[in-house]
Amino acid sequence: MKSLAFILIALVMVTSPALSEDRIEFLNGSDLKGTVIAIHKPEREVEFEATIAGKSQVTRYPYAKIHAVTWKGKRYEVTKKPAGSEPFVADPDERRSEAEVMKVIETYGKPDPSWLASASLDFPDTLDLSWPEPAPKPWNNRKNIGQHIWDVVNPNESRWRGGITLMRHLLDQKPDAKLKLRVQKSLASMYFRFFQDYPRAAYWWHEAGAEAGDQDSVGLAECYWRMGNLSMAKKMLQSRTLRLGKIKLLGDMGETSEALKLAESYGSRVKEPHECYLIAGDVARQAGKFSQALSYYQKVIDLPQMKNGGYDNRHRGRAQASLESLKQFELLDVKQIPNGAYAGSSLGYEGPVDIEVSVDAGRITDVQVTKHKEKQFYSAIADTTRQIVEKQNLKDVDTTSRATITSAAIINATAKALEGAQP
Amino acid sequence: MIRRAPSGALILGGLLLVSTTRHWLGQTLAVLAVLLGLVVLLTRSEQGALFRWDHFLPFKNKRWQPAGPETYLGKLARRFLPRSWFFDKLTGKDGKIRQWCRRLGPTVLAAPLRRIVQGLCFTLFVVLFFYVCWPYGARPEESGRARDGWQLASFEQAAGTLHFTHANPLPSWIRKEAFLFVNAAKATQCRVETTGGGVVTLTPLSALSSADAQEFLFHSGTWTLSETPIGQWPSHYAEHLSERERVPADLFLTIDPLVSLSTAIASRSWVWSLSCAAVILLVCVLIPRGFCGYLCPLGTLIDLFDWAVSKRVKRFRVPANGWWVHIKYYLLLFTLIAAVGGVLLSGFVAAIPVITRGFLFIGEPIQSGLLRGWHLVPSANLGQWLSIVLFLGVLLLGLLKPRFWCRYVCPSGAVFSLGNLFRVSERKVESSCIHCNKCVAVCPFDAIKPDFTTRVTDCTLCQTCGGVCPTHAIKFVERWNTVSLKAFNEPATHETVLGRRGFISLAAGTTVAITGSVATSVATKSWGARLDQADSFRPIRPPGSVPEQAFLEMCIRCGECYKACPNNVLQPMGFQQGLEGLWTPHMNANWAGCESSCNACGQVCPTGAIRALPLEEKKVARMGLAIIDEGTCLPFANREACQLCVDECVAAGYNAIEFTRVHTDIDANGDPVEGSGHVAPVVLADKCVGCGLCQTRCYGINDEQKGLLNGSAIVIEAGAGKEDRLMTGSYQKATAEASLATPPKADPFADDPFGL
Repeated sequence: MKSLAFILIALVMVTSPALSEDRIEFLNGSDLKGTVIAIHKPEREVEFEATIAGKSQVTRYPYAKIHAVTWKGKRYEVTKKPAGSEPFVADPDERRSEAEVMKVIETYGKPDPSWLASASLDFPDTLDLSWPEPAPKPWNNRKNIGQHIWDVVNPNESRWRGGITLMRHLLDQKPDAKLKLRVQKSLASMYFRFFQDYPRAAYWWHEAGAEAGDQDSVGLAECYWRMGNLSMAKKMLQSRTLRLGKIKLLGDMGETSEALKLAESYGSRVKEPHECYLIAGDVARQAGKFSQALSYYQKVIDLPQMKNGGYDNRHRGRAQASLESLKQFELLDVKQIPNGAYAGSSLGYEGPVDIEVSVDAGRITDVQVTKHKEKQFYSAIADTTRQIVEKQNLKDVDTTSRATITSAAIINATAKALEGAQP
Repeated sequence: MIRRAPSGALILGGLLLVSTTRHWLGQTLAVLAVLLGLVVLLTRSEQGALFRWDHFLPFKNKRWQPAGPETYLGKLARRFLPRSWFFDKLTGKDGKIRQWCRRLGPTVLAAPLRRIVQGLCFTLFVVLFFYVCWPYGARPEESGRARDGWQLASFEQAAGTLHFTHANPLPSWIRKEAFLFVNAAKATQCRVETTGGGVVTLTPLSALSSADAQEFLFHSGTWTLSETPIGQWPSHYAEHLSERERVPADLFLTIDPLVSLSTAIASRSWVWSLSCAAVILLVCVLIPRGFCGYLCPLGTLIDLFDWAVSKRVKRFRVPANGWWVHIKYYLLLFTLIAAVGGVLLSGFVAAIPVITRGFLFIGEPIQSGLLRGWHLVPSANLGQWLSIVLFLGVLLLGLLKPRFWCRYVCPSGAVFSLGNLFRVSERKVESSCIHCNKCVAVCPFDAIKPDFTTRVTDCTLCQTCGGVCPTHAIKFVERWNTVSLKAFNEPATHETVLGRRGFISLAAGTTVAITGSVATSVATKSWGARLDQADSFRPIRPPGSVPEQAFLEMCIRCGECYKACPNNVLQPMGFQQGLEGLWTPHMNANWAGCESSCNACGQVCPTGAIRALPLEEKKVARMGLAIIDEGTCLPFANREACQLCVDECVAAGYNAIEFTRVHTDIDANGDPVEGSGHVAPVVLADKCVGCGLCQTRCYGINDEQKGLLNGSAIVIEAGAGKEDRLMTGSYQKATAEASLATPPKADPFADDPFGL
């Protein structure tokens, strides 16, 4: 009798957890133990009771969020886990072989991002989904897809996902070969520019058949480099076609001398090398070769005027601004500045902010705001000036939150004042 | 013995009510009941009067003895306070109290308690105006450090703990016992349990609701751990005001009964301050017209002005009786008739709005200028100068007679005077009166008739007369007291209730009041807002304002909202809406934009013309819509790149202005040329609330600073469809319903259906 009772109790104890404990595994890897109350097939939901931190809760979980349910001891897989749904994080120090890079592209690049399945279409009804080429005149960003992307999608971060959704939608319409190619290239470019999603960008460029020398070769090269393979990147860049992007990428990759050599050869081959030398200056600056950077920027300024006045203004203006900012920030050596008080001014929120900075024995002793018309400055005036004196340079000064424009004005005004004082 | 029972009952009942009720009305009444009980208990107890609340310092005549009729309060004071403060019987010298009162002035000597209460009320008014409504102490929350890119390793069901990992090493600010926020969509506050082995274990501080738990079960991306919740809407201005507002900032405005009465009549609706008016009228049943004598800050200001100026200039003095003595009643009639006609004129003449506006237009620029800088004081318009002139006029009436305004002109005083008909207590004169005329000379309200009895509609029980009467003949007792009163009409007063001359002046005055009121109402409406016309000027009203017609009928033009508004966004209108809109608030977006963390204007409005909205409601209440002039906007006009308005809108948190590209060059293939053209702003109408920050920036930089434009290129406009004005109900609900009704894709480019 006693042994029977013991066996029965043991049986109950052994089987009851299995009987009462159901389990839901979610798509993100977490799981929940509890009891399945009901399965709502038409609504595709599971009603589940679980005790979380001592509190019992009954919730309905949609099928779309559940990976698997263990019910009455049997495991049912509800939704397949999308592989590579986590975004690929580019580690600058990680190196991969060519095979490994291809594997990354296959694992992380091929599947769609997790948000795409539930994204709604976000474009005007008037868009012509056949996307004719060349685009019919006049410019109409509510009709032509390329113009819609250019005007509406590109400038607004809130519309980027919509852009990718639109491209995917176009692919789902089973377009002809020419349109398909266009869409694939667009998709790759969007993943690259908007999200810096290198595996996906590389995947779609592969699908579109990008090769060295193509318009997209520079982007694809950068993807290879970011995924950890320098030689693949350099191979993709090898071609005789002149592309400015190559110079910048070589500079980013650390191949400074090669980048500058390319810039020189490029500059000698084109009629208006303004932009080329501008990029060369940026590359030199990035590599810490400040005097070279200065000479390149000066070169741009000294070049004759470009045919297009707007472009000329832009390049020349950028060169001038880079020149000044280089002198004011990276090249600023407070120790070289003679003793004295220097005034500077920069545009703030409401109007110019005038400051006076005092230098004594190679140290900034004081920064005072002498005149301003700011309304909401909170503590920017005290905080930013204090930081400048504390840090003894302008590079490391943080702008005050919710008063960034006033803070930035104080920093820039001080920079101008000190630049003027440099011997 | 018998008298102590009712006072005891009052005190006990009051204490009970205070301890049990949460509602402010109940608590106020309870406090008053307690005070009343104490007063009845502690004032003079003698036979011959139910209660006697004399608090004046009795005149020291030769036979005066301090041990004479004395109150419980007096006895207590003598027992516990230092002896030197009181009269010395042996030497006959004044105690310290009398010495100091004598130094301060004869009216202080006569009734020091009244002066003390006046001083306290005036100080309270000044503090409420210049300190509580000063918003610039607000500081935004410092955002703490944050790091994103965390992966959720596991979610432990049993204890509700979370385990996070990160690729990079742990920062120093994530350590045991620290409090962090886990953000994906919502912020959950947790405590750090352990940080070993590259895994951070967190325990949520409050029990996870099923919605919170779902966050951790569903979200399949990275997480952010931060010291403060990220992306929280700032609320520092709103919190700053509510911290300082221990006493409502518009306290004095709410207890001015003319304000709430006329507003309720004009708008034909319940105004919340009517209950405050009821309370003060109830108090004034006990102390008739006590508001005027003790509480009114305008009265105290006039007293100060009289002491400083009017007493020294005697040229313009007028005799006591003239045709002006009943102006206040006709003025009251005037404003009430206008209110019936839907025109709110009482704000121009009611006591507290007058002093609030006076402080505002004179004091506020000085306070701002000195404390913040003179460049931050907006320029005054004609309407403001008019208000300053009228205010100085009110003060200068004191040259005619001290407190001329209070005695003869103030219509709020007229309301109390009419309320005096229901009074419970009264000033009475006993037969020991020797007709010396000292009381008549000193009375600030001209409330003593030539026979030395009281003009009951004017007496405020200030008790100054009691302190100067050499025979102590004046007492302040219950109205029906007839013990040892002096003879009536001796000497003859020649004041009848209504004689033939009185009748004529009554008829004349009433006619003037009625016709004047009707004429002014008609004039105001015709040179007014003209809301039925499509092209009428539409000012941008403060957020949470009631619809325009009701607004004009409810706004008392007091000026509280201008004072409480940071950066002077709200400014008084001049004559843009004719007389009807004079001194009403509108937003001047060229000067500044409505701060996203502030809801002060609604909190301080005494009539509810601007509804007191919590911040979540205020931030969806549309004031207007930003309209871009594509002819002048710099990128649209292809003049230069500019994105000031977009940056402003994003910084404020509304994200209601988006980019588009314009003037893009096209190459031979029809493709756009990279780097050509400009980005230009587009307003998303469903997100814009009309705060005006965009206009401020564009005007400030492009017009004033750089001179590129003549006026801002982006302008906030009010009007139907561009603003939300709800009389009652929730703005959040209304906005949600509106977004369901409109098609989900609100196309900002849809104003060009033909693609022209």
